Amino acid sequence: MGGKLFFWLVICFPSSIALLATTFYQVLILSDLEADYINPFDAASRINYFILPEYIGQGALCVLCLFTGHWFMFLLSLPVTCYHIMRYVKREHLIDVTEVFRGLNAERKFRLAKLVMYLILLIVVIFCRKFNILPQFQV
Amino acid sequence: MGTENPGRPGFPARPASLPFAAAPQTATPFSSTGPVAGSEPPSFRPTAMPPPPQASSLFSSSGPPVRPGVPGFRPAPPGTFNDPSVPPPQPPSANAPPAAGTFLRFPPPPFSSSGQVPPQQRAPFVGPPPIQQSGSQPPSFPSPPQPQTPFVQMGSPPQSISPAPMGSNVPPPTPTHQPPFPGYARMQQPPPAHSSFPPSQGNYGPPPPPVSSPFLPQPGGYAPSPAVAAPLGMQPPGSGPPIGGIQGLAEDFNSLTVQTRPGTMDPLFDSSELPRPLDGDVEPKNLDAMYPMNCHPRYLRLTTSAVPSSQSLASRWHLPLGAVVCPLAEPPEGEELSVVSFAPASVVRCRRCRTYVNPYMTFTEAGRKFRCNVCTLLNDVPSEYYAQLDATGKRVDLDQRPELTKGTVEFVAPAEYMVRPPMPPVYFFLIDVSISAVRSGMIQIVAETIKSCLDELPGFPRTQIGFATFDSTIHFYNMKSSLTQPQMLVVSDLDDVFVPLPDDLLVNLSESRSVVETFLDSLPSMFQDNANVESAFGPALKAVFMVMSQLGGKLLIFQNTLPSLGVGRLKLRGDDSRVYGTDKEHVLRLPEDPFYKQMAAEFSKFQISTNVYAFSDKYTDIASLGTLAKYTAGQVYYYPAFQSAIHGEKLRHELRRDLTRETAWEAVMRIRCAKGVRFTTYHGNFMLRSTDLLALPAVDCDKAFAMQLSLEETLLTTQTMYFQVALLYTASCGERRIRVHTMAVPVVTDLGEMYRLADTGAIVSLFSRLAIEKTLSQKLEDARTAVQLKIVKALKEYRNLYAVQHRLANRMIYPESLKFLMLYGLALCRSMALRGGFGDAPLDERCAAGHTMMVLPIKRLLKLLYPSLIRLDEYLLKVDLKSIERRLALTMENLDSRGLYIYDDGFRFILWFGKGVSPEIARNLLGADFAAELSKATLSEHDNEMSRGLMRVLEKFRNADRAYYQLCYLVRQGEQPREGFLLLTNLVEDQMGGNNGYSDWMLQISRQVQQ
Repeated sequence: MGGKLFFWLVICFPSSIALLATTFYQVLILSDLEADYINPFDAASRINYFILPEYIGQGALCVLCLFTGHWFMFLLSLPVTCYHIMRYVKREHLIDVTEVFRGLNAERKFRLAKLVMYLILLIVVIFCRKFNILPQFQV
Repeated sequence: MGTENPGRPGFPARPASLPFAAAPQTATPFSSTGPVAGSEPPSFRPTAMPPPPQASSLFSSSGPPVRPGVPGFRPAPPGTFNDPSVPPPQPPSANAPPAAGTFLRFPPPPFSSSGQVPPQQRAPFVGPPPIQQSGSQPPSFPSPPQPQTPFVQMGSPPQSISPAPMGSNVPPPTPTHQPPFPGYARMQQPPPAHSSFPPSQGNYGPPPPPVSSPFLPQPGGYAPSPAVAAPLGMQPPGSGPPIGGIQGLAEDFNSLTVQTRPGTMDPLFDSSELPRPLDGDVEPKNLDAMYPMNCHPRYLRLTTSAVPSSQSLASRWHLPLGAVVCPLAEPPEGEELSVVSFAPASVVRCRRCRTYVNPYMTFTEAGRKFRCNVCTLLNDVPSEYYAQLDATGKRVDLDQRPELTKGTVEFVAPAEYMVRPPMPPVYFFLIDVSISAVRSGMIQIVAETIKSCLDELPGFPRTQIGFATFDSTIHFYNMKSSLTQPQMLVVSDLDDVFVPLPDDLLVNLSESRSVVETFLDSLPSMFQDNANVESAFGPALKAVFMVMSQLGGKLLIFQNTLPSLGVGRLKLRGDDSRVYGTDKEHVLRLPEDPFYKQMAAEFSKFQISTNVYAFSDKYTDIASLGTLAKYTAGQVYYYPAFQSAIHGEKLRHELRRDLTRETAWEAVMRIRCAKGVRFTTYHGNFMLRSTDLLALPAVDCDKAFAMQLSLEETLLTTQTMYFQVALLYTASCGERRIRVHTMAVPVVTDLGEMYRLADTGAIVSLFSRLAIEKTLSQKLEDARTAVQLKIVKALKEYRNLYAVQHRLANRMIYPESLKFLMLYGLALCRSMALRGGFGDAPLDERCAAGHTMMVLPIKRLLKLLYPSLIRLDEYLLKVDLKSIERRLALTMENLDSRGLYIYDDGFRFILWFGKGVSPEIARNLLGADFAAELSKATLSEHDNEMSRGLMRVLEKFRNADRAYYQLCYLVRQGEQPREGFLLLTNLVEDQMGGNNGYSDWMLQISRQVQQ
């Protein structure tokens, strides 16, 4: 019980929020870049700064869900993990500053999709807790 | 006769022709090329007498004389004059008597007739708002320079683009006709017919020039098309055996019977009649008449000079829709660009869309306001720029304002266009001094050439210069002016590179001149005993970056070995033939180490442009090194297996050109166009600073950039689309300048028009860039297939436009404007960058060719794709002095074994000696040992007339284009394998290995088109 609460309070909830926040930030920067509020060099370095932490965090969360038996959350985050792994293996995970404008739209679309996934994840996390916690307290 | 074309009225795409039940026939035959104007005069004269009905048909029949007649066209202005009016109903009276007296009588009918015409004609075309501006501001027009010309032209534009072919002749009698040109239109309008086509004979005098100018372009654009003139509707180039059924065809397009004998692959047509671009690149002239104030096509060319009005129309145009820009193209001798300074005021631009002031802007309200041609916003004229309007609505100071009369001008940019003081020209040389570089003799030549160019480096006395050399260590040279000898500083710590003496490595050339010269004198001897085989290229690059990042400038890299030490070291790759044909193939053409991309981005950020000179006979990974040039607006020069004795002259010449050509520093370029259209992708050597801003740290006349546009709005409501290229740069003299090219093109609703105004050169240029980019992410095979597919799709669409009406089964039809597209497509697929697979081109040469083709201006690219082959012996023996101007088709059949031929692709000459070439020629040209191996022989001048004659010819060819130096290779017939790879693989029309020949290619395409 304590472990579960700990898992929820210290890992799941904050990390979902962090993932959501970084992705949102990246989308924001890409939009700025398109509107010419930021130059591609800064944009690329700012985004790239967050990419590896995001991948690692997301992967860790996914694995944790697997090991703690949160199947639904695991399955929910699995596609994103796979996508991340694919990008990493292909060495396409970082924004390439020389070609950033060529793939701008695709990059943003992928990130928006990811944003939605993370949002769903967050909602699930919150509701999971709600449904899990109440009965637990009654016991 | 070809004229009575029953199918015509039914043309789906040509609604306008409907109304002309009778008249249209006259012009139809010519419509596709728009030569109508040119073609009529001749027909007119001979046929002056015949009765009306025939008159019209005669036009078509007299088609053939047309071209010959063109020259005679100007001398006979009356004819030309009439003919605009001819097509409509009243020809008889008008035509009949060419006598003076009749002239008086003559004009009225045409006018009246034309009076009827316009409504019909305009209908599809002009639409409501054309004149909006013209009404409001007549003024802005430069009357003196183009008194009437513009007028005539003005009138014609809508028509010539108008779907109705006829239109092209009809002079614009009514004001409504002049939509695009506000100013002009109005000026000349009021007395429309009379003023411009005065009835009196006296007035015929002046017109000729104007007349000829609008029309000339057409014959010009038309000339290369032998096709149209054919009386029978059979186009000579391709038509092969005439087929009766087609004779009634209007000559809207070229057609070609491309068939095989049933059951076999033998072509049933004569391949010698396929179209070939033996005149080289022909710049499109069809807009000259319409928009005389456009910039010259050498600066900006669109793939089709007609913007589609809707997305659905654009999607039916399967070729790339875009532009090729060469912002600093060299104007011909004697033509100077006007430099305009607005000081102390700022540059006049539209407040909203930031378009620079240009000839298409219109002034109103007594000169206090101007309307932007791009976004139609009404702007205030700055008080310093104010000028009154005269009675016709033109600014009174028009003569002194080149920016209002010319499509290309340069503005002096005030301080607000600078983020820092304008940089001086900076040249930094990074030279490989490892053992292979020493052995090849490269260092010697580089040092000599640089020394000889010191006086001609642009930007004296501000020019700065610096040197570094590297093998396994990095050497810097302190060239402070107070020293007598340069001081060498060696950095051997490759992991943590630092710059030993930050201030004195880059010095002012005029102050340190003697030290620099001393250094260059001693450089070759300094390293002549160097036995170092390593190359610390990456660390050296980083160190140089630190030196240059203060100012930016141009970095010239001379690289002779594969980088082997420190960051950015590269591996041998490309040896494995099994990779070809797999998904990993393209990786070979990409930079292996991300270091190079990062460096390139850094370079671009700090305004450093990189030119890579590579010399090795072994693999040097041009794919990686070239990346440095790719993103910094640089260039790759590759001299495989460089030997100073053989290639020295080429290096000397090209390095010299690189150092002395006029260069624009720290430049950015943007192309603007009206709302509704947007440039989406850019192709070439540059880095995008924002979505539509090209960062070009250094750019010069030898670089072109391509871009594609897309329609954002489903429907364009304007009649004219304006494009404006602006290049903001620092000139070598230290002045900040803006070079502006403006171009207006019509917006059309008809696909046929788009095809008619297509520009093969620009299309091929975009094609090749797209294909080369595709090879970076896919297989070579895929890139080639994509080219073919696009051509097929385009022709299929075109076929759908016309084939049904004309029952053209088994014939291939294509627009006159695209008749060379198929051949260039084939040549592109067989070019060094795209051809074959592993064994067909060494990886480095392939990558270097790809990098080169990405920057080439159109003219040079077309020459590279379809080189010229010229027979020389007849010229040298003075048998046939004209033979030297005759280009031959690139096929073995044209190589006579008794002849001496030169093959010139703009990068090298190949002299081919036939087996039976007379010994006299060989002896005279090659000297005593003329029978020896030619692979070792070099061509030098001998003391006889023939040898001198040859040298003169070579010199003449070289002078035609000085961007590259053409080294002369000699090869004898049958001397394999040298002959094979030098010449035979490059004869693009022949079948060779797995490659298609021209006739097979045409067969393939035609079959796919008809599927």
